[in-house]
Amino acid sequence: MVERCYVPKSLEEALSIRKETGAHPLAGGSDLMVQYKQGLGITPVFPFPVMIISSLDDLKGIETLEDGSILIRALSTPAEIASFEGMPYPVRCAASRMGAVALRNTATIGGNLGNASPKGDLPQPLILLDATVVLKSQDGEREMKVDDFILGSKKTALADDEIIYAVRIPRVEYTHVYYRKIGTRRANAISKLSLSALARVEDGVVVDFRAASGAAGPKVIRSHETEDILKGHGVDEMDSLMPAVLEGWNNAISPHAMPEYRRATTRRMLEHFLSSIAAHQEGGIIE
Amino acid sequence: MTRIDDRIRRVDAAEKARGEAVYLCDVKMEGMLNARFVRSTIARGMIDSIEVPQLPDGYWFISARDIPEGGRNSLVMIAGDWRCFADGDVRYVGETIGVLVGPSPAVLKALEKEIRITYTEREPAITIDDAIAVKGGPILEKDDVHCSLVSEKGENVEDVLARADEIFEETIETGFQEHVHLETNAAICCIEDGKYTFYISCQCPFYVRKSVAGLLGLQPSDIRVKQTTTGGAFGGKEHFPDVLAGPLLVAESVIRKPIRLVFDREEDMLYSVKRHPSKIVFRTGLDKDGNLLGSDIDVYYNCGAYLSSSYVVLQRGVFHANGVYDFPSTRIHGYGMATNTFPSDAFRGFGAPQTLFAIETHLDHIAAKFGFDPVEYKRRYFLKQGDETVTQGHVVEKVVLEEMLDQVARKSDYWRKTKEYARGGGRGIGMSFYNHGGAFTGNGEQSIIKAHLKLVKDGDRFTILCGQTEMGQGFRTILRKIVASVLEIDMDDVVYDNPDTDCVPDSGPTAASRSTMVVGRLAEEAAMQMKERLDEEHVEIETEYRHPDGHPWDQSTFKGDAYLGYGWGCACVEVEVDRLTNEVKVVGIWSSHDIGKAIDELIVHGQVNGGIIQSLGYASMEKMENRNGHFRQTSMSDYVVPTSMDFPRQEWGLVDNPYEWGPFGAKGMGELVFNGADAAYIDALERALDVTINRIPMPVEDIEGVRHD
Amino acid sequence: MIEFTLNGRSVRFEGNPLTRLIDVIRDDLGLTGTKEGCGEGECGACSVLRNGKLVTSCIIPVGSVAGDEIVTIEGLRDTDQGRCLVDAFAEAGAVQCGFCIPGMVMAAQALLLTNSHPDEEDVRMAISGNICRCTGYDLIVDAVLLASRKGEGLW
Repeated sequence: MVERCYVPKSLEEALSIRKETGAHPLAGGSDLMVQYKQGLGITPVFPFPVMIISSLDDLKGIETLEDGSILIRALSTPAEIASFEGMPYPVRCAASRMGAVALRNTATIGGNLGNASPKGDLPQPLILLDATVVLKSQDGEREMKVDDFILGSKKTALADDEIIYAVRIPRVEYTHVYYRKIGTRRANAISKLSLSALARVEDGVVVDFRAASGAAGPKVIRSHETEDILKGHGVDEMDSLMPAVLEGWNNAISPHAMPEYRRATTRRMLEHFLSSIAAHQEGGIIE
Repeated sequence: MTRIDDRIRRVDAAEKARGEAVYLCDVKMEGMLNARFVRSTIARGMIDSIEVPQLPDGYWFISARDIPEGGRNSLVMIAGDWRCFADGDVRYVGETIGVLVGPSPAVLKALEKEIRITYTEREPAITIDDAIAVKGGPILEKDDVHCSLVSEKGENVEDVLARADEIFEETIETGFQEHVHLETNAAICCIEDGKYTFYISCQCPFYVRKSVAGLLGLQPSDIRVKQTTTGGAFGGKEHFPDVLAGPLLVAESVIRKPIRLVFDREEDMLYSVKRHPSKIVFRTGLDKDGNLLGSDIDVYYNCGAYLSSSYVVLQRGVFHANGVYDFPSTRIHGYGMATNTFPSDAFRGFGAPQTLFAIETHLDHIAAKFGFDPVEYKRRYFLKQGDETVTQGHVVEKVVLEEMLDQVARKSDYWRKTKEYARGGGRGIGMSFYNHGGAFTGNGEQSIIKAHLKLVKDGDRFTILCGQTEMGQGFRTILRKIVASVLEIDMDDVVYDNPDTDCVPDSGPTAASRSTMVVGRLAEEAAMQMKERLDEEHVEIETEYRHPDGHPWDQSTFKGDAYLGYGWGCACVEVEVDRLTNEVKVVGIWSSHDIGKAIDELIVHGQVNGGIIQSLGYASMEKMENRNGHFRQTSMSDYVVPTSMDFPRQEWGLVDNPYEWGPFGAKGMGELVFNGADAAYIDALERALDVTINRIPMPVEDIEGVRHD
Repeated sequence: MIEFTLNGRSVRFEGNPLTRLIDVIRDDLGLTGTKEGCGEGECGACSVLRNGKLVTSCIIPVGSVAGDEIVTIEGLRDTDQGRCLVDAFAEAGAVQCGFCIPGMVMAAQALLLTNSHPDEEDVRMAISGNICRCTGYDLIVDAVLLASRKGEGLW
């Protein structure tokens, strides 16, 4: 059954079509056109109505707001995100390692969140940074944490009449930051596993510590309980606290495939990050 | 005037780069219909019923029932056991049951989903171990062994092992590999001038007509095959195009309009032949100092549901099972196992890469156990001119392995690094040695193929007529260069087009690294004869293959000189392993090859680079798994092949060692360059992590397992 | 109806906006230089430029290119830049089976448009979405570097 396809000319029209028909927004196409492909020479067939929103200027652009947060509108591509000045390091890394050049010109942040693939690259650093997603409908706007928006593999809290308008990354102070993606190969790769982490150390005390694991479960994993183990403690206590952090993290992740590899590697990367905090109190990007 | 040593441009480069080369998918014909295969969805069982919905006007469903009386439901691919259409039972997932034909690809796809096939399933055998255990009952008459052979040299190996101080036993395994030629398999069948005609992306147009003619009770010469520009093959288009051509021919006999079949990537990934997975079991006898006394080797290849060409693949595997080494005694048993997987078939190296990987890795492990540098250990056993081979023949040519080792060791700084890098220190360097027998095994060039080539002069224009295909390897350029160089004319005055079986003589398949060595020689000879007659306006010269003297071979016992000559190789790979993530960064790749004499250095350079990268992909990232008969990797995002970022620039070299019977001294090289980088990579990885690796591929997650073994 | 520019000419498409751009280019407009290798944006054989940026035409619905400028190999090959690239690919020995090469040339063009003097790493990055199974890439990298040298001033 071939469902309808709409091409709205404005955000208002898109919201109206969304409300009336429930049409799914299609932005770059890099997820949906592949998911519903039919093969060579055949137009993809979608089991639901679709609206192509790629031309909507209201959904384009990235800017830094007065409070220091960064607003990334839904149609922003990984290439645009990676080259935006002031983009936090883990987001820049994730965006600049998504697929290859053409995909980074095609995919969108809205699509990457809306599709909610466990292997998606952008949700992981966004969840690390407590980013929020701004959702619009004809009835108005609401904003929620990306971590709450993504419910599970391919499941989101998007209502039937809403579309993703933007992502907002709050300003987060950190002294230490880490990002690693292990892909199927060194470029043009799907993530097998990823980890980002950050810490803020002031006067030898860990004021903030966070970590986020991608592709290690049905959705990106953060464990606030585990993060709390370190907060407020001196860096000199790291050795004694580390086992509890690593154990807590190991309990938090739930890899289906390659569990041994994902658990062991996550543990080693996190251990490396934590040891590096202790070893390099002045901070910086941990390689 | 073109000289053999000139740096020239490939004749097809510009038209391909401009997007003007016409591949099969670019061909359009008036009234052309499309085709879509209907396939088995189970690995093994009986077909109980096939329910075809009412088809719209202009659509057909063609199956075994449409094979006319006098026709035979068989595709002849050396053996004739592969059926054109499954009939009564199915033996692997994806087996062709029928073909839907009609104008719209979208409608065909929808119709395919409406066809209901019911089965009574039987338990399939999928792996080599399943086949050894005859899981689910025999696939063949009494067991699951398609074919077997044994090769021996030296003393009785049981006696040797009985007096050995130690018997080193181990099993080494290799996985499936998918060709991933960028152009998928594709063909058109039509009727031109009353004759069944194929346009097809393939390596061997004469194979196609021979394979399918019997379906309609015809002779091969009743069918015409025109090769279209072929976008990569690597063996994947040696026999496999027959599997497309057969059903198309039967459909054509009913429908009589041009019918096109172009696989999309998913079909090409799931439902095409692969490299044979292997399991190689060693029992190697050593004295107390680690000296090799002899080895008993069992070689198992997973051939899949049909034998097709696998016996020949297995033979090549067995004949390469001692690598480039002179084992005092050896016995090699080869077993081609029948399973319910997609039939395995030709892939660059044709059975040699599996046993070569195994022997290199096995010797590395013995060297490590006794504390020898693996290279020092291996070079003690290097084959030399006159040494006996595993088929009780002899190495006829001069062997320049030491020169190649020297070249590679100097460029890579191997001797320093092998001492400095501590085992388990995160950085490792590895080296491998390998060879590849050129052309058909034994006397096949004489007894099976007997290649012919024609060279025609019309005024100032010279036309080469032969069945060799250009599939990316550069043969269109090579052959024109050979002829032009002999005639001392410009390459532009030599014509050599994609073959059409009605216009060219059969010069044998474009396979087995034989094109330059054998057919190139025929062209050289033709050109030499032509040179004597340049004053004539129109001349036709036909040359025929003659077997060089002094290469005895008995095909019934597999004894004698298995190959006329070998290409030889040495590869070195250096890696750094990330201890956190197991990611392997290759920091250096060096190689040296003896290919006789390079006809064109730039083309050889491209072959070396590409072959080595394919081999490194095979060892590292190219993982193709099969569960219950279904391949799990369905696309280019989950079966990954190397990108431009995965491996660094290579350093390469050659050692000239002209071959008496090749054109300008050239030997085969297309497969050779695939045969060894895998083992060098694994050697480097083992040293970097101080682990033992007994199988490939080795992606990061599997390295994790090895680290804990 | 969808209107866009293809190789400098205005094109109107009246069919389903979800039709893949590659099918419009190859089947409706008959420009077969753009190849389909994988159908899911993984291999780069179908690469074209959209507003000067590299995209894979097999995953783009034609409805999303309204108002855009699309350039295929047919629109590039007879420009000075295109001739320089084709020439460099031939000179460097970068072409084997050729199926990936039109896409590879488009990727090279996209790189040189933003960076006319790339180094080897830049080139490897720029073509990392274009899979070649034949060459091992070294000679393709050479070709792009050669084009940037020989085409001094063109980009």
